[in-house]
Order: sequence, then structure tokens, then C-alpha cells
Amino acid sequence: MRLRTDDDIYRARLVYLGPPGYTLPFQLPYAQYGVFLLLVPLYMGIHYLFTFRFDPVPAWEIALSMVTTSVIWRYVDPDRPARTVIRTALTDWRRTGNAALAQEQRLPRLVAGKVTIRERLP
Amino acid sequence: MTQTNRGGETLGFGFDDDLEYYDDAPPAGPPAVLRAPTPVAGLPQARPSFAPPRARTPERPSTLRSADVDSPFFDLFGGPAPTPRQPAQPVPAQPRQPPSNLPAVVPARVPVAPAPARVPAREPLPAQPRRGGKGAPVRAGDRPIHRDRDPVAELALTEIAGHLTFTRVMVTAWYWLPEVRWAFRPDLDREAMIVAMSEQYAGLAGFRLHLRRTTRPFAADDWARTLDQNTPQPLPDVAGAPSWGDHLVGAQRHLLSLSHAEGQTYLGISFARRTLGDTLAERFGRKGSGGAERKRWARMVEQFDEVLGSFGMRGRRVTPAELEWLLYRSVALGMSPPRLVSALGLPQWGKGDLLALTEQVERFRSPYGATTRLVNRLTGEERHVAVLTVGRMEPLEIPQRHEPWLHFHERLPFPMEISSRVDVLGPGDSFRNLEHRLRMIRSQQLDYAEHGMDAPPELERLAQRALVLGDEMTTGLPVDSTRAHGWHRLAVSGTTREECLERTRRVIQTYQRDLRISLQHPKGQDALAREFVPGEPLASTGYLRRMPVKLLAAAVPQAASTVGDRRGDLIGRTSGTSRRPVFLDLHFPMEVRERSGLAVFVAEPGGGKSTLLGALGYLASRRGVQVTLLDPSGPLARLTQMPELRPFSRVLNLTGSEQGTLAPYALIPTPQREHYVDGPAGEQEWGIAVSNARAERRMLVQDICSMLLPPQVSREASTATFLRHAVRGVPAEETSTLDDIITHLQAAGDAPAVELGHLLLDTAEMPLAMLFFGSPPPGILADQAVLTVITMAGLRLPDLKIEREYWSAEEQLALPMLHTAHRLAVRRSYGGPISSRKLVGLDEAHFMEGWRSGRSFLVRLARDSRKWNLAALVASQNPRDILGLDVQNLVSTVFVGRIAEDAEVAAEALRLLRVPVDDGYEAVLASLSQVDAASHERLGFREFVMRDVDGRVQKVRIDVSWVPDLLSYLDTTPSVPGSGSGADPAGGHPTPVSSPPTSAAPALPSPTSARPASAPPYPARPASAPPARGFGSGD
Repeated sequence: MRLRTDDDIYRARLVYLGPPGYTLPFQLPYAQYGVFLLLVPLYMGIHYLFTFRFDPVPAWEIALSMVTTSVIWRYVDPDRPARTVIRTALTDWRRTGNAALAQEQRLPRLVAGKVTIRERLP
Repeated sequence: MTQTNRGGETLGFGFDDDLEYYDDAPPAGPPAVLRAPTPVAGLPQARPSFAPPRARTPERPSTLRSADVDSPFFDLFGGPAPTPRQPAQPVPAQPRQPPSNLPAVVPARVPVAPAPARVPAREPLPAQPRRGGKGAPVRAGDRPIHRDRDPVAELALTEIAGHLTFTRVMVTAWYWLPEVRWAFRPDLDREAMIVAMSEQYAGLAGFRLHLRRTTRPFAADDWARTLDQNTPQPLPDVAGAPSWGDHLVGAQRHLLSLSHAEGQTYLGISFARRTLGDTLAERFGRKGSGGAERKRWARMVEQFDEVLGSFGMRGRRVTPAELEWLLYRSVALGMSPPRLVSALGLPQWGKGDLLALTEQVERFRSPYGATTRLVNRLTGEERHVAVLTVGRMEPLEIPQRHEPWLHFHERLPFPMEISSRVDVLGPGDSFRNLEHRLRMIRSQQLDYAEHGMDAPPELERLAQRALVLGDEMTTGLPVDSTRAHGWHRLAVSGTTREECLERTRRVIQTYQRDLRISLQHPKGQDALAREFVPGEPLASTGYLRRMPVKLLAAAVPQAASTVGDRRGDLIGRTSGTSRRPVFLDLHFPMEVRERSGLAVFVAEPGGGKSTLLGALGYLASRRGVQVTLLDPSGPLARLTQMPELRPFSRVLNLTGSEQGTLAPYALIPTPQREHYVDGPAGEQEWGIAVSNARAERRMLVQDICSMLLPPQVSREASTATFLRHAVRGVPAEETSTLDDIITHLQAAGDAPAVELGHLLLDTAEMPLAMLFFGSPPPGILADQAVLTVITMAGLRLPDLKIEREYWSAEEQLALPMLHTAHRLAVRRSYGGPISSRKLVGLDEAHFMEGWRSGRSFLVRLARDSRKWNLAALVASQNPRDILGLDVQNLVSTVFVGRIAEDAEVAAEALRLLRVPVDDGYEAVLASLSQVDAASHERLGFREFVMRDVDGRVQKVRIDVSWVPDLLSYLDTTPSVPGSGSGADPAGGHPTPVSSPPTSAAPALPSPTSARPASAPPYPARPASAPPARGFGSGD
């Protein structure tokens, strides 16, 4: 019995080519644009916290968002969603290399403290 | 704090053997199983009179069994005994007296002094200080000095009710999936099973499943206890040799060192969201779920019972105790269960234990860490766990080419855990999902067209595949359209980080090479490890595998490869798709299954038949079974020189025996009236048996006479006629002899008959032929030796492929000698009590083929085996010999060794195993005991395909290396003198390599003098000699 997964269908690379009538010189996945659009207001907010004003032309924010999106997408693939990559980066980005192994963190113990046990259903 | 509602009754944990010591690394300290096996009440205390009776410990009250352990947590403390919380009865500081028959003196793991006092086993543990805990108020006097400030995370699980588990939001029903036999089944059967399972999965469409596979350490101590109970009269201990207790301890040590683990598969179905009212009621006051809530789900749960209980998975509801075990194993991934809980086989888990056992486990992570470190803060045990996730999968052909992909990991020699979270999508959801994806692909193609660009060809290919799938979904059966979208994880553990990562690499490589499944080792290991715990959330949505339910069903994590019984001797392990210990009690077919005791061994020369025969003979002898081994070539005679067997064994060398030893009339015993029931029916039955015995004697005598005559003469028709007349003229009683036949022939007056008589007389003048003539010496086999090895040292066996005319005179005599020697070996078993255990091992049985008496012998052996409790092991080089005798229906156990030379012979061996032919299993027989061509070492193991009395077939690797020096004595391979094997390269007869052993051993009052003077002095192999290569573990 030959059995195979359906994964390849879901692995098709879907990219945004540009608006009708105009083809962008680069083709990026739709999700990349989504992350970029989330990052721009994030950087604008951070900028506002420092300067207390919004820049009408957020050039730095756009540039930083592009770079960040590009970096994130280096690690993203169909099996590794952007959410997981961002979460790992947020927890571990500061620590790399062998020194990181020494910086072991204690995790909360998993305790079955509030588990009620009934032998059988009524 | 964990709360239980067990109705006030003392409830067993239900799977006592689940909780014993386990570690996949050899234990550092003495394992719990080193505890002496306990004597059993009701067993006969009598011991053989020829040796000092084995002193057994008087039966202790059952309560005393737990005298040294009253809490499951005592032994979790590695150091000195914990101070008892309630010293109820101070116990004097004295170690428990070990029974003298039991393993010699293994220091008790429980500290000697002061012995821990008994505390009621069910006593709840004091509330553990815990941040945010809401347990009962702690009294001021009990307040701990230091608070435990370690962070604590409560499990998402809030309640276990029967087989249901509740979290704040979800209800899950859990089922136990029993193991299914996979190996050596016809592909059609396996496909039918996969289809049945996929239909069951399809019946669960719309729900999220949690498939968990955990392991249970093999209960070596339970097995040893069972073996001890089934051995009422083991061989008496001999000074200076391993005792029966040592024997059991050695086997248990070996079992523990190989880390055998048995799998347990659980399936959870998350089927309902809890209502806001129920959640709030539980949060504010009510303990657990309400009765109304549980009743609401009862009907749906019954449907699950119906779906899962049918052919395929045959699932059953789990018990709360099993769920507690699963929770513990999931929190403490890969860690050893509490050691002493099952060492005494008593249910010891009680109220609050789940909390106590889970809260000891501390977890550590490192940034970008490849493993999660778990530490048991009470025992100090440390495990590193790496969680792998199933990545890309290439198409699989299951069962034709590939093994089930979630069973495949069991071929590695360390246990792993599996957790799969699966969303089962019904036909509607699957089609919508697929259609959405197809629209996106088509839209992308359109975009390319609008922009005047060439679309990547993969888009069209994927669109076409989606269309085909969509067509299958809309027009096919529901089982074809149902999809399983899931995340599949494997947890690999090791005692150190390096060991864990090394194991991880092996798992990844094995899966990549043999299944073409890419296992990934992602970051975020701590969250992934937490995902194994029932009720905990999914760690990551990455690595989602979308597949038809048939592919999920073909994962078969519950596949197993068990073979043998669990009450016999340890003979090795399975070596197919998983590693399980193999036990074999050759009397199990007769005593329990009520089947024949005929076991057949088939292999090419060098396949290990004789060594296996000798090993089984040794193991049975240790258990006090009367063993008779017929080994024409003689190497097994060295077994009698083993120190533990020497006082109770003897060698009978037929080539040096007295006249009449093989007198054919006396070889077939006359049935005794007392062995039949009283009354006319018994009388009639006995009469028939006596007549049959006479007929068999006549048949045997006629065959033997034909063998003794020159082949040209015996082939003539008149010879058979005259012989028949002569045999009929002589009373077919035990007291008759071949001399009577000669007398009868010579008295016939017919010249040809007289000539026949002369020819037989001529034959009788040969020294070896004297064995057939005359009456047997009295008491030749009437001894009490436990092990008797009958040899024909120096006899040259003929090659059956050569015509008889070309045989030498000696070779011609060998044929009747072998026939009668087989009878002689079995004849000894008819001398003792009818129900006592007996074992006969017959090598070179292929000489029986082609003679009427040969087939009647095997048929009689198989039929009598049940009545006489006689295990008969028959070894042959060719399965055709057994199939030709048409006794395969009477065979209960089959061992087939390497057969690589002839495909037809392999096919016949498969028929003997009752395995489908032309299904590719012939290649399995050819691959047994395969030698590494690059190696110059001798192969350290032998493999067989074994079929047990219950019809289970499995590839096994024989491993008796745990018996000290057994392999040295069983080494039948000739080697260069002085190389240490102790075998003579010329004839295979042992050569003295050292002075005879001097250890004093009790002597048999029985006629030990029966050992013929011509028997070669087989010296014991010195203990310091390097072990010979034989059936070692080969690992």
C-alpha cells in the first residue's frame, strides 16, 4: 500500500507579484508583507517612546522593518512558522555559543497538585 | 494537593509491575530485582534425596513482605534511610535473613540500620509547601523552616474521572491500545488491520487526538519470581558452583543491563469543550466536574467505546491508575520509575502520590538548547531529553517495504516516548481545506499569467495532485477522504547531554536511511517536552504533517514483537523490529496450552542448532527437569562437566557400551496398566496401546534388520517377506532379541531365509553391531541423573546424499545406531513418573527420514509428549525431513536458523513456521546470523526465526551469555589447539585442557558408575579462560 502525505500541496510557494499592471522587481511571500506591515508600526511606536512624535516619513522604521523581516525569513519555512521563529528569538536571542549552555535556566516544575482523581464515572 | 475519591476501598494500582526499577543504562547500584526470589506456599518441599535438601525460607506472611518497605518513596532516597515520620514500631536493627536458596547475598538496598519503621502505606503525604498552594492549612508545628521557593507550574489537567480527563476547557477520553502482532504476518492481514484502524480513525473525525506511546521497564523480578514458582525442585546447589539463586540473579542482571522495555500505547480523544458554567463552578468551590456534566458526555463516550473496541485497535478504557502512570511518565520523561514500588509486587501508590512523584522533577533549559535537563531532586537522577519532530516524509510502502513508521524506533536499543497530536478532519472539512489550497494555487497561476510571467511548473503539478485528491475525496469512501493533520514527536533521553545527542543522531540517521523520514530537532525543547503531558497545549504549530488516515493508521505505534512465554528460561531477545526478552518454557505447551511438546530446530550446518539444544538442556537441568540429550558427535557431553551439573549428570557413550544396549525390542516400552483409567474403557485403551507397542516393535525390528543387511539384499522383495515372517514369528515383547529373529530365520528351512540369517549373524560379529544383539544390560537407564548425554563418539555418520552401496561398513552401522539411539533417549523418559517434567533433545534427526519406523517414532513422540509431560526437541538440517514425516501439525515450537543456500529449502522452512511463502520472508532466513565479511572474528551470536506455541513468529537472537561459562562448554566449533576453545579440531571431541577439577561435589547414590569407562574425561574449563564465542549477546 503506497501511502504519501499531502504536504507538498501545502508547501507551494505563493508570492505577491505586484499590483495588476505592474510587476514588482522582487517576489516575496504574502506572509512576509504581513510581517513587514506589523513591524513598521512597532518600530514607529518605539520611535515615539523616545521622541514623543510621529515621523510623517518613517524611513528608518521602514528600513529596519525590511531588515528584520528579511532576517526572520531566513529561518522561516513551511515547517517552521514565523511565529515560532519570533518566539525563539525573543527567548534566546541574547544567548548564543557555548557560554549559553552554562546559563541554564530553571523552569517551573510541572506539578500535578490540583488533579482530582475519581476512580470511576458515576 | 492531589485528591482521590476511591470510595474508601484499598485499590490496587492495577499494574504493579509497571513501577519497578528501570533505567536504560546499567544500574550503578544493586538493582531491586536482586532481591531473593520468594518461596511459594504449597509447593512441594521435597528435594532430591541424593543431595542435601535446598533449604527454603519458610513462607512469610504476606504482610511481612513489605516489612522493609512501607512507602513507595523510601528507596527514592539514595542515601541513608529517611527518618520515619511516625515511628510506630521500632524494628530491631538486623538485616533480613536471605533464604539460602536464593541469590547469594546481595546486599540489601534498604539500609540496614536503623531499619525504617512501618508507616501505613496509604497514609497521605503531608502537604508540600508550594507557592500559591491551596492545600489544607499547615499547623504551626509542622511549618517547614525553609519554604520551597522554586517556581511551580500546575498541570493543565484538573481532574481524572474514570477514563476521562478534564482541563479547564476540554474533556478527553483515554483508551488503551493493546499491542498487535506485526512481524511475519501475511501482507494481506496487515493491510486489513491498517484499513480497519484507519476506519476507526475516520470514525473520530472532528476531534483532536493525543496518541501517546510510553514504555514500561521489563519486570525482571516478576519474571524471576514466576520462574521460581514454576520450578518446584531446582537442581540442588553444589558447593563452589552458582546456586539456583545466583542463576536467577544472573538472568535478572542481564535483563536489566539490556534495558528491555515494553511499550504502552494510549489514545486520548478531546471531544468536548466545557461550558462556562462548569468551568466557573469548578473554579469557585466545586471540586472537579459535576455529575450532570459527566452524564452529558456519557452517550458520546459510549460511541467511542464502540468505534475503538472493534477489530483494528481493540481499544479499551484506561483506568485512572494507568492515567496517573502516564502523567508521571510524561512529566518525568525518560526517568526511572520509583524503584521499590514493584519490587515487592504490591500496590503502593496511593492518595497524594501523583503529586509527590511529579513535584520532585525539576526542569532546566538552556538558550537554544538541544535538550531539556530533568533532575529528580530526591534521588539525584539526571536525564537529558531531546524531542524530535517528524519533518518531511517520502512516500512509504507499508507493509510491503517499510515498517510502521511510529513502531520503527523500537529497533534501537534504548526506549523512546512518542506523542502525536492529531486533528482528524472528516470528508467535508478535508475537501474544504484542500479546495481552499487549490484556489490559492490557481490564483497564483493566474497572477503569473496576468503579469506575463512563466509560472513555476510545480504549481501546475500540485494543482493536478490537488484535483486528483479532491476527486478521491468526493467520490471515494469516507475513509479515503478523511485526513489527519498532526504533529508527531519523539522524545529521546540519555543520562548525559552527550549520550542524549548521540542517541538523537542515531534515531535521525535510522529514520532517514530506512524510512526516508526527516526527523527534525527544533528549538524550544522545553515546550516540546511539555507537550507529552496529557492536557498540555501544543508547543508549536510547525512541522504539521497532513496525511490520509491510512498513513496515520500505518504508523501502528502499538505494534509488538513478543514471542515465547513469560514463565520460562531467558534464552535471548527478539531482533526484528524491536527488542524484547524471549523466554521459553518447553513444558508450557503441555502444561498450559494442552498441546504437543514437539519442538523442531532447523538450520544449515553451523546455524547453531546443537548449541541451542545444549543451552536449552542446561537451562532445563537447572530447573530439575530430567534431561536426555542425544548428541551423536559428542560436544554436548562437556555439559556434564559443568560444576553445577557434574554431580547430577552422566555421559553414555554408545560406541563403548555393552552388548544389547540398543536391542530394538527393549527400546519400546510396554504401556503400564496404572497409567490408564480404571474400568473397562481404560482396560480397552490399555489393550490397544499394548498392541500398538508390539506393532511398533515389529516395525522397528524389521527396519533395523533391513539396515543391518547389505543394501543389495535388503532391496529385494523376498527379503522383506522373510523378515516379516520372522518378525511375526517372534513374540513382540521387550524380552525378545534379534537373536530370536536369526534363530527363526535359520529354522525356517527356506534357503534364502537361512541365508538372511547368516548375513545377520555376519553383521553381528562386528563390534558395534553387538549393541543390537542380545538383551540390554539391566538398569542401563534406570538412574536418577538429571542430565544424561548420549553420544556416539568416534562414529562416522554417513552422507545421506550418497547411495548406501557406497557407504563403509561403519557408516552402514551408524544408520541403525542412530535410529535406535533416538529410541533409547526417549525410552529413558518412560521410566519415571508420568507427570514429572522430562526433556529429550535429539540431534541429527534427519536420519529418521525414509523409514517407516522414523515417522512412527516422531508421531509417537509428539502424541506421548502431552501425556508424559515430555518436551521433545528434534534438530535437523533440512525442514524437508520434518515435512516429509508429515508431523508438522504436531509441532508446537519451531526454530529455523540461517538458510541461505537453497531457496526451496527456505520456502519449506517457512511452511514449517506457517509463514506465507513468496512474500519476501525467504530473504529474512538468508539474512539470519549474517557474518560481517570485513571481520575476521567468529560470529558471536546466532539468530533464529522462532514460532511459539501460540503461533507468534519472530526473529530472535539467542543469548545465553548470562550463564557463566556455558558458552565455553557449548562451543562446538573446532579450533586450533591451545586457542582456548577446548575442542579437538579433528573430531570435535573435547581435549583435556587442564587437570580435572578438584572441587568436592556431592555424589549420586544412583549408579553413577554407569558412566562408561570409555567416556572421554571432559575437564572443566578453567574459570579464568576467555569465554568462547557462541551465543553471546553479540551487541
